[in-house]
Formats: sequence, structure tokens, C-alpha cells
Amino acid sequence: MKLYQIALREIGRRKMRTLYTASSVAISVALLIAALMVGMAGQKDLLLTIARYGHSLTIFPATSNETSLQNFGIGTGHYIPEDSIPTIQEVYEKAIRIGWEKKGGFVLDAGAPGGVDMLQPAVFTPRLYEETTVQGKKVVIAGIRPSEEYTARFWWEVDEGSLLQKNDECMVGKVFSKVTGVKAGDVLTINEKPFRVSGVLRETDSPDDYMIFAHLGKVQEAFGKPNRVSLINVRAMCNYCPVGEAELALNTTVVGIRATSQREIAEAQHRIFKNVTSVIVGLVLLSMIIACMAVFNMVMGNIHNRLREAGLLKVAGASRGQLMRLFIYESLIIGLVGGLIGYGLGHALAVTVGPMLLSGAVIEPQWEYLPIAVGAAMIASMLATIYPAYYISRIRASEAFRAL
Amino acid sequence: MAMKVELRELNRAYRIGDQVIEAVRDVSLSIDAGEFAAIIGHSGSGKSTLLSMIGGLARPTSGTVLIEDVDIWARDDAFRSDFRNARIGFVFQFASLIPTLNAVENVALPRNFGKGGNRAQDEEEAIMLLERVGLGERLFSYPSELSGGQQRRVAIARALINSPALLLADEPTGDLDEETEAEVMELLLSSCRKTHAAFLMVTHNRAIAEGADHVFRLKGGALQ
Repeated sequence: MKLYQIALREIGRRKMRTLYTASSVAISVALLIAALMVGMAGQKDLLLTIARYGHSLTIFPATSNETSLQNFGIGTGHYIPEDSIPTIQEVYEKAIRIGWEKKGGFVLDAGAPGGVDMLQPAVFTPRLYEETTVQGKKVVIAGIRPSEEYTARFWWEVDEGSLLQKNDECMVGKVFSKVTGVKAGDVLTINEKPFRVSGVLRETDSPDDYMIFAHLGKVQEAFGKPNRVSLINVRAMCNYCPVGEAELALNTTVVGIRATSQREIAEAQHRIFKNVTSVIVGLVLLSMIIACMAVFNMVMGNIHNRLREAGLLKVAGASRGQLMRLFIYESLIIGLVGGLIGYGLGHALAVTVGPMLLSGAVIEPQWEYLPIAVGAAMIASMLATIYPAYYISRIRASEAFRAL
Repeated sequence: MAMKVELRELNRAYRIGDQVIEAVRDVSLSIDAGEFAAIIGHSGSGKSTLLSMIGGLARPTSGTVLIEDVDIWARDDAFRSDFRNARIGFVFQFASLIPTLNAVENVALPRNFGKGGNRAQDEEEAIMLLERVGLGERLFSYPSELSGGQQRRVAIARALINSPALLLADEPTGDLDEETEAEVMELLLSSCRKTHAAFLMVTHNRAIAEGADHVFRLKGGALQ
């Protein structure tokens, strides 16, 4: 019979005590798992929210050395040639690769928020802005490339009708629709060209709500601006992308443009990621300490009942190491049971509480946390048992001998 | 090598508050292989403490315990554990079985701590020993299913599993009726005779002591 089998028998004999001890571990593990699941879901949700507020890089026509907005040339007759986009794209991608190499190729694992599954090629969304009057209201017409735009602004949805698809269609912002009463199916005349309204864009809380969107080529044609775009938004499609490197490379390499990165967004993402990670690590440590204390109290409380058994094993020839191992095996089994129960409880807790905390965010099962739960429980349980096991192994066998 | 237990000026003192208690004082004695020695004395006279020191369970304050010419207290704990496992058998006064193990597993228990070991062989030997002590019908009974006398027999079988050269017994018949006491004593003595093991027993029972090759009387921790 192996030592672990003796430990299993002992566990089997003290089922209620084992369950009681394991449940204290399970509660700590449940909190840990719930915190991890809700924390990660919250982080993902937060990153998506941040993603709505801007692009990683915006490229304007270079009109002067000043950096104030009015000098970027929007609506002031300054444009970027549309056929320069492939060159811009090439410079950008090269700079990003160099930037990643400088960072040591830091990439998060697939599945993790901001991980390699989010490292998609950057999306370039050129826009041509022109001002005109539609339905008696001054409005900005934005010429866009719909497929790129939908990839970059993945949160775009319509309240009625459908997203802009056909060449002779346009899509209106929510505020414009409210102000003018324009609905899906109406036909608008823009610079003497008819456009059928495909749909009304759901409110985005951005300037898009005030605009009319049409195909870039049609807007260029309607306003006599072939091969012209007002700006190019670049969505890096990754977290911590070295967009600063790309900004520098574009400004020093491509003539006639000025690239401005929104580094503060990347930095904010980084800060949030770091803070959430710190909080989770803190919770992990706290939960492990609580589990350790619970197991320690249980084991120490039971130690006098075990002295007799320890003494007997010692006189039968068990060494201190074997005695310690026996008690540690028991703690590992308790940890295993506690970890499994804790994972289940934590999962249930996260699924129940998570959507309340994260306003409807979906909490998905995270099977990769199962080994974390079991591992943390077993380590906590083992750490808590080291001292009691050491204490028992060091008892003078004569005392146990007398106790017998 | 013929088994010989030799104690030289063995002392054991401990402190309770300011008071120093001398549990064992200057005890010197020797027992040869195959001999039966009884230690008698009143409660608190140091009998169990002496037995613990001989068995490598309680460290003497001074003096030497030589078993097969090995000074066991000059060696480390791991050595003493191995030595105890391989060379010394213990039988106690009270039930000393692991409640979660059946009779066979309790008897084979010391084999778990020794070097090597083969479960099937260990169990086979445990079954033979249990049959020898008259428990062939109760091989897989748990301690709670056995009477006091039966539990004592299991403990004796366990003490004998490693064919010890020295058998130490601390009042092994103290709580048994006369008939069972006689059976247990006969079992212990015949087992020791068979294996030529030295047998050292603490007892209050003068009748048992009278049958011993040596009788050591302890009073206040010292031999009389």
C-alpha cells in the first residue's frame, strides 16, 4: 500500500471534515475564478468600448507645419491623393513590423483580450468630406469605402433599413435623420445627384451622427474631386501597436501628408490592462491566503487527533519525510476537491453576477481557468499543511508512544 | 550477528517549570538474543521512558543504547527510522491499529516504510502471520470489527512482520482477561523463540515477570 492510498483512506474516514475543509478552499477558489472571469470579460468589454472612440492613426493632408485642426485642411481644399494609399500602407506596415521587433515581439496569447487573434492587418478607411445643403440643412457628406469602414467600425448598426451597400445609395446619421425626418427608402439630392437612403445609422455618439455617407467614388464624382480624400483613418486592429513608429515613419517618408497617432488611447488601454491585471493578481493572492488560513486552522485544529496516528506510524518505521508526505498528500487531495468545487461555484457566480456588473456582458465558460483553480487550491492547501505536517513529523515519538 | 541490547549509564531528565524530573537514572543492563527480560516497577518509575529510549523514540539525556553494537542515538533520525522499521517490533498496551486499514493492511504497514517492498508479497506474509496468531478468519476485518484481544493479536503480527531482532512490549496484556492474556503471552514468547529475537517487556504482572530470563526492577528511574 502506498502512502497516498493511506492518505485516501484517511480522507474517506473523515468525509465531513474533508468536505468542510475543502469547502473553505472552494469558496476562495470560487471568488478567484469569478473575479478572473468577470475581470477578463470586463476588460474585453472595456477594450471594445475604447475602440469606439477613435482610430489608432489619422492621416491628414499636410498644409503647414502647424498642428492645429484648422490647418489639417479638412474642408479647406486640401486633399490626399487616393492613389497614394498603397504607398502609405506599405510604409505603415513596415514601421509597425520594426516597432514590434523593437518591443521584443511582445504578443499576447490567442484568446486573451488583445491577443494574437486581434492582431489583424490594419484597416485603412479613407474618407472624403464635403459640405453641402440637403433638405435645407447644411450637412457634411462623407465619401467612404463601405467594406473597410464596416471592418474598422464594427459597432455600426442601423436603426432602420440597411447599411450602405449599393453605389447609388446613401446612409444618414441618426441626428440628421431626426432633424430632417429623412427615412430609409427616401431619395436625397446631393449636389444634383439622386441618392436613395439605404438606412439610418444607429446613434454612435460621434460626429458620424450628423453626416450622410455615400460611396467614396460617387462623392468624388458628385463634387468633382476624383482621386481625392480628406483623410485616412488607420485602425491598427491590435493593442499596444507601435503606432508611434508608424506615425514617425509616415511623417518623414511620405510627402504631403501629416500622420497623427492617438497614442493616449493605446496608453490608456495599456494602463487599463495593467491595472486590471494587478487587481486580478491581488485577488489571486488574497484568495490563496484566505484558503491557506482556512486549511491551516482546520489542520491545526485536528492535529491532536492525529498525534496518536503519527506516533504509531513513527514506531512502525515511518521517517519524518514520510510522515510529512502523508499529511501533504491529504492536503493535496483536499485541494483537488476544493479546486474542482470552487471552479464550478466560481463559474456559476460569474455567470450570475457578471452580467449585472457589466451591463449585460456575456460571460463565457473559461475552461483554461480549471487548471488554475485546481492548481491554486492544491498549492494553497499544501502550503497551509507544511507547518502542521512538519510539527507532527517532529513530535517526540515517546509522547505519542505514551498517548497510545 | 547475535542480537544484543546493551544500555550504558542511560539517563533521561526533563524540566517542568523550574523542576528537573529525572525519569531514568544511570541504567545499565544487557540482554542477549532469544532472551526474555521484564521491566517492572510502579507507575511513573520510568519503565515506558526506558523502553522508548531503547526503541529509538526518546533521546536519552546521556548514556548509550547499543543494539547489535550500533549506538542508535549517535545516528540520525532517518537511520533510526530505518533501523526501527527493520530491526525492532513494538506492541503497546492499548489498541494501536490504524482504523482505516483492515487487519492485513495493518500488519503489512511497516513494509510501507521500508526499502523496496512488494505489495502482493507483503500481504501474503501478513496473511501467514495473521493465521499464525489465530486470525485467519478475520483477515479483512477493520479494527472496529475486532475485539480487544483480536486487535492485540493483529498488533503482535504487525510487530513481527519484519522479523525483528528486538521485540519491545509495553504492558501488552494490561487490559486483557486472564485467558486472553495467557494466549497473547504465549504468542509473544513463542514468536520470539522461533525467531530468536530478544524480548523486552514492561509489565505490572509479577507472574509474567517471574517467567522472564531477567527481571529489571525500576524505582524512581533507577534500577534496584
